[in-house]
Amino acid sequence: MAHKNDERYWNIKKLNKWFAISSILFLLSYVWIFYHDNDDEFKRYQREFRKLEIEVSNKKLESALSNVQDQRVEYEEKYNLELDKYNSKMVEVDSLKSNLEYVKGLFYKANMDYLFKKAEADELKYLYEDEIVHSEHYHNNHEDESTSKEDKDKYHHDDKFEYKEKYYETLEVMKDLKVTKEKYELQVLEIESTIKNMGLELKNKKDELNEYLKEVNLINNKILKLDRTKMTFMNQLGDLVRDLPILDFMDPYYKVNQVVAHDIKYDVNFAQVPSVDRCTSCHLGISNPDYKDAPQPFTSHPNLDLFVSSSSPHPFEQYGCTSCHSGRGRGTGFVSSVHMPGSPEQKKEWEEKYDWKKMHHWLQPMLPTKYTQAGCFKCHEADPILAGGEKLALGLMLIDQSGCNNCHHIESYQAMGKSGPPLTHLDEKLDKDWVKKWIKNPQSFRYNTWMPHFFDQSNNSDEESVKRSNATIYAITEYLYPDGDKENFDNSNEFIGDAENGQKLFNAVGCQGCHVIETESTQLGDLDVPYEMYISNHGYEPDTSGVGYEKMDRYTLLKYQGPNLIGMGSKSDAKWIYNWIKHPEKYWPDTKMPNLRLTHEEAKDITAYLLTFENEEFEDEIAVTEDREELNNIARRWMMKSFPKVEVDARLSSMTDDAIDEYVAKKSINYYGCYTCHDMDGYENGKPIGAELTYEGSVPVSKLDFGHIHDIDHTTHAWFEQKLANPRIFDKHKIVAHEDKSRMPNFYFKPEEIEAIVTAILGFTNVKIADSKITYNLVDDKSVFEGYKLINQYNCQGCHVIENFGGHMVDVIGKIENAPPNLNTQGAKTQPDWLFNFFKNPVTIRPHLQVRMPAFKFSDGQWNSIIKAFQHLDERNLLIEDSFAVDINSAKFKAGAKLHEFGACNNCHFYGDQFPKQTPETWAPNLAMTKERLRHDWVVRWLDNPQAIMPGTKMPAPYIPDSITLSLDNALETWGKDLMSLDGNRQAMLEGLTDYIYSIEGPKDISTLVKEYFKINGYEFDTDEEEDDFEDEDW
Amino acid sequence: MIETLKNTIDYLSTPTISFTLITVLFPFVFPPTDWFDKINRKLRIDKLWTNTGGLIQFILITGFFVLGYQDPNFKIILMKGDNFPIVLMVYSMAFFTWYAMKKSYINDARLDEGKKPMEYHDPEDKVLVWPDLVYIEFICLILFMVFLIVWSILVPAPLEEPANPAATPNPSKAPWYFLGLQEMLVYFDPWLAGVIFPTLIIVGMCAIPYIDINKKGDGYYSFRERRVGYFIFMYGWVVLWVYLIIIGTFFRGPNWNFFGPFEYWDPHKLEVLNNVNLSEYFWVIGLGQPLPSNILLRESVGFLVTGIYLFVLPVLLAKTVLKKMYEAYGPTRYTFLMILGLTMLSLPIKMYLRWFFNLKYIIGIPEWFFNI
Repeated sequence: MAHKNDERYWNIKKLNKWFAISSILFLLSYVWIFYHDNDDEFKRYQREFRKLEIEVSNKKLESALSNVQDQRVEYEEKYNLELDKYNSKMVEVDSLKSNLEYVKGLFYKANMDYLFKKAEADELKYLYEDEIVHSEHYHNNHEDESTSKEDKDKYHHDDKFEYKEKYYETLEVMKDLKVTKEKYELQVLEIESTIKNMGLELKNKKDELNEYLKEVNLINNKILKLDRTKMTFMNQLGDLVRDLPILDFMDPYYKVNQVVAHDIKYDVNFAQVPSVDRCTSCHLGISNPDYKDAPQPFTSHPNLDLFVSSSSPHPFEQYGCTSCHSGRGRGTGFVSSVHMPGSPEQKKEWEEKYDWKKMHHWLQPMLPTKYTQAGCFKCHEADPILAGGEKLALGLMLIDQSGCNNCHHIESYQAMGKSGPPLTHLDEKLDKDWVKKWIKNPQSFRYNTWMPHFFDQSNNSDEESVKRSNATIYAITEYLYPDGDKENFDNSNEFIGDAENGQKLFNAVGCQGCHVIETESTQLGDLDVPYEMYISNHGYEPDTSGVGYEKMDRYTLLKYQGPNLIGMGSKSDAKWIYNWIKHPEKYWPDTKMPNLRLTHEEAKDITAYLLTFENEEFEDEIAVTEDREELNNIARRWMMKSFPKVEVDARLSSMTDDAIDEYVAKKSINYYGCYTCHDMDGYENGKPIGAELTYEGSVPVSKLDFGHIHDIDHTTHAWFEQKLANPRIFDKHKIVAHEDKSRMPNFYFKPEEIEAIVTAILGFTNVKIADSKITYNLVDDKSVFEGYKLINQYNCQGCHVIENFGGHMVDVIGKIENAPPNLNTQGAKTQPDWLFNFFKNPVTIRPHLQVRMPAFKFSDGQWNSIIKAFQHLDERNLLIEDSFAVDINSAKFKAGAKLHEFGACNNCHFYGDQFPKQTPETWAPNLAMTKERLRHDWVVRWLDNPQAIMPGTKMPAPYIPDSITLSLDNALETWGKDLMSLDGNRQAMLEGLTDYIYSIEGPKDISTLVKEYFKINGYEFDTDEEEDDFEDEDW
Repeated sequence: MIETLKNTIDYLSTPTISFTLITVLFPFVFPPTDWFDKINRKLRIDKLWTNTGGLIQFILITGFFVLGYQDPNFKIILMKGDNFPIVLMVYSMAFFTWYAMKKSYINDARLDEGKKPMEYHDPEDKVLVWPDLVYIEFICLILFMVFLIVWSILVPAPLEEPANPAATPNPSKAPWYFLGLQEMLVYFDPWLAGVIFPTLIIVGMCAIPYIDINKKGDGYYSFRERRVGYFIFMYGWVVLWVYLIIIGTFFRGPNWNFFGPFEYWDPHKLEVLNNVNLSEYFWVIGLGQPLPSNILLRESVGFLVTGIYLFVLPVLLAKTVLKKMYEAYGPTRYTFLMILGLTMLSLPIKMYLRWFFNLKYIIGIPEWFFNI
């Protein structure tokens, strides 16, 4: 019977067809999804890298093979010879081996018998023990009258124990079995060792060969794992299967590489998660120096000594990549890891090559390569001396020097003081006209001044603004002179000496450690920058010569610590300049300018020299004059912001002109924040006026107002660049009231300065780093960092080389030995208490130097922190050390005395008040000072090789006889028995010499003596250019 | 030429114009009365629902997207992964409306001729659940899976980074299906637009079978036999929901400002938003006196207007224009219908009041969080 279910109203065949089509489509879509899922960008790179790795390994193999070429054959021959020998004994070996098999069989059986018996014995032991326990138990608890005699017998007599006998019998059998087993065991061992001995020599030769070919074999094994063509078929198959979809969960070759840096947290707003960096999924050669020249992304890290490698201070396993570079560490593709281009050209290139676009939602995009150093700051915020972080250091120094952190609070990088001079008693120094012209356009006086420009900028150069600016400048200037204009210009001979001598002094005593006198302004050249610069009218003219200009770097910056001293003759009078250079702290108590202890004559001469520089163009300019109408207008506008018109009218009508001027001045000073950089009366508690920059590096780009500027990239760094290049640009096309305009002044930074400052700003982030990674926490004594900061701020490196950086004075002085001393190893060199006293009261150490150590007005705490900083650099931390006790009776000391005799140290060195034999140009420190000044172990090091510590020093290494010299016939005669007793031990001889030097007595401070000498004989020697032969080696 | 067209479209898209245009044209497209029907046929709008009309609709929509794709500003919006469903929605909305209307018009013509509707013969063309229907559904399921897979491969999911209160996107947009609600928030207090209205929409849709007592059109497509209901529903659905989603997607830019589809989303754009409460209109502007300090007195006008709208108007209507309907529906059903209908109608009313009178709230008592 036909079933009802067969009933159909649709064409089943048609439906089947549709089903087939849709199923095939479904299958295809699934294949596609698998393909899509497994076609990761990083896998493509990994495949490419694998090829590269094979290539590199083959090259290495080649070179390794050529290395072993010479002796390989030799080793192989030796091995083959032994192999032949071994093979000739093969019959014997074979019979031994078959015997071994047989004995092993016997052993197996015997061992089995023994073990089985042992199991039996163990069981019997248990049963017997059980019986003992029960008998005791019964005896103790149950035995009474009712106990039958039988039971009593049973438990009271040991021989009644059922298992006792069996147990001991079994033990006996077991012992026998053990002996049998051991017999076979020994036989096996014997045969085995015989076989081994027969092959021993062969094995040795093989090991030797392998040891020799170790590198080759290593590379070979690597290639076998990499190169599919060299694999066995099974391995090829395995290599293919391991990367198949789904199966690749076990042990794939192509996989995401990641490192979890637990100490570096990424802020996901409601939780802090450790950063997970997968960068090495594509950057496969990053930790391997072999890929130095490989193309990206395989290139090795350019500084493996410092980063990435496990022996570096920043191993990849602990720091990952994004801790320094930022970016999205979890990304496994070029775009998803948020690479950021450094220039519009790169951006374009990336867009074409990688289909690059910015991931807007990642708040910490990767730092473009040129800003990578910003990443250092988050851990190294306390280290101003940071090798490898030059750009960041330059940026930070520029921030300090320009006073950025005076207006902008930066918690992690605070200003140490006001960066400009005080304006509280300006009438001693300058007249009003000069000040007015200066405020209006500082560069018209000094083209490279640190004072920024507030006026004549892009948003206040229209007629109305200029009018307003002029009135403002007038009001501010008047406000700065509460007691009237500077009256007396004292240019009398009391303060003016010999300008020519002044020039010599200026060049010699050390002024140029911080100052330059450069009259020609810089030419910038054709700048190729992605932002719009607002070029100054005075410095930095476009370069027509094509030479470009001297780029600013940390080293160059050293000489611009103080102002470029041009135009002084058009600025102030002789009296002020004289007083300033004689006692800077009297005019400006917080000045960084130290006291050079100039005599009256010297100060006069230098004053005369400085006054020879005049700026006629500036003098010819006309200062702004009073504009009553505009001043009233400004005052009214300011008032209208706070008061109703009626009240403004009333207030203004009751104010005198002076009161209005003062009102305008105060409003303007508040508006421009003059007081943040200068001490001003009435603004002692003024707050910084700029936006806080503590976390500016993490600011979301949406929080920055790009205004109507669309030509720059929409990134934070592009905004910072543009802001620094033209601080007022974001007012462009906006209608803004005067009182609301952007007011950040223009410092006329050059492109490389902008780059450095932006690097620093990008470093001010809110990224959380574990305490253990922050350098500040790694030093117990935090005052070290204050010391570093002081060394930086007071420009010690302008004169001295510290940590192999600085000392640009030598460029001016010419000869390295006439320049201020190199302070490398300073922390290990001097006694801290001596150094402290020296700082407080510098005495003459190097009598031949004209340049002098100035006196800085530091507190004891500050000096101590500087000493600690020096000690920290040399890993020393003893505050006070015992002065070294010399045993003058020891053989070492006597040997030292002998060496000293030969050394003729007194040719150059003072011995207390005893002058050296040679002329002043070779004069060297007073040896009587050594004991209290220097540390003993440092002196030993110094005597060993002075050039290593102070390159360019004129101190020759003392002659220390070597063992050959000491074995000559007349050695004893020449060197004496004490020295001979040291057996040519160089260290001991050096120590002996040092001991001797420590015993030299005499007055310590010879400053007056030296001064007297030069007063009589003059300093003429240093002008003699031709003589250069005092470095005679044949002394 | 293209620029002029774009500028015209930008201009016409302004909510005041586009919304009014659609509202005015709507009864001509879906005529609820004979008069509209006459004009509909005179203007040959009914030809929209023929095959040619469907093709024209398709070409117009596609033409708009193609034109939009050429425009750099619209392209950015169009190519966002989030907005892909909206494009699909526009097409599917047009298709299903066209399909239903086409069938309805054919049936209406048949009914006019005294014939039975097309679906009358359907029982003869029956399908077995097993195996036919299940089989067909299974095939559809597979094809739909294919579509979803291909979609997910070609348009990556628009996933973003963890939400950050310090960096909210501008504009911050709800998921596409909620954009209509977000648009309503522009005109209503959140508790109305976000709570009451969505609840009433769901309740109202559940209530349709109980309110609709029109037996005609059961089991077959017909427009004429239930044109009022059709009109009301389509207005609520297409204009007050779908169109608001389209506005929210394509026309709302930074700061929720309105932008034409081809306009640059300028974050600096500012529009005057001087919104005024009804109480301020009455007391301050009308009577020239300060607002009464008594809240109830202050808002008395608003309460009066709302009371009239909700309670007096239905009674008046029941006695006059809708007398017949009231009799047919009975008081309970009529009341429900009125509550739902008037609430729905309040949306366009409020929109117009905002646009033309800057009216913020009819009753505005922020002290009690009670604003209408």
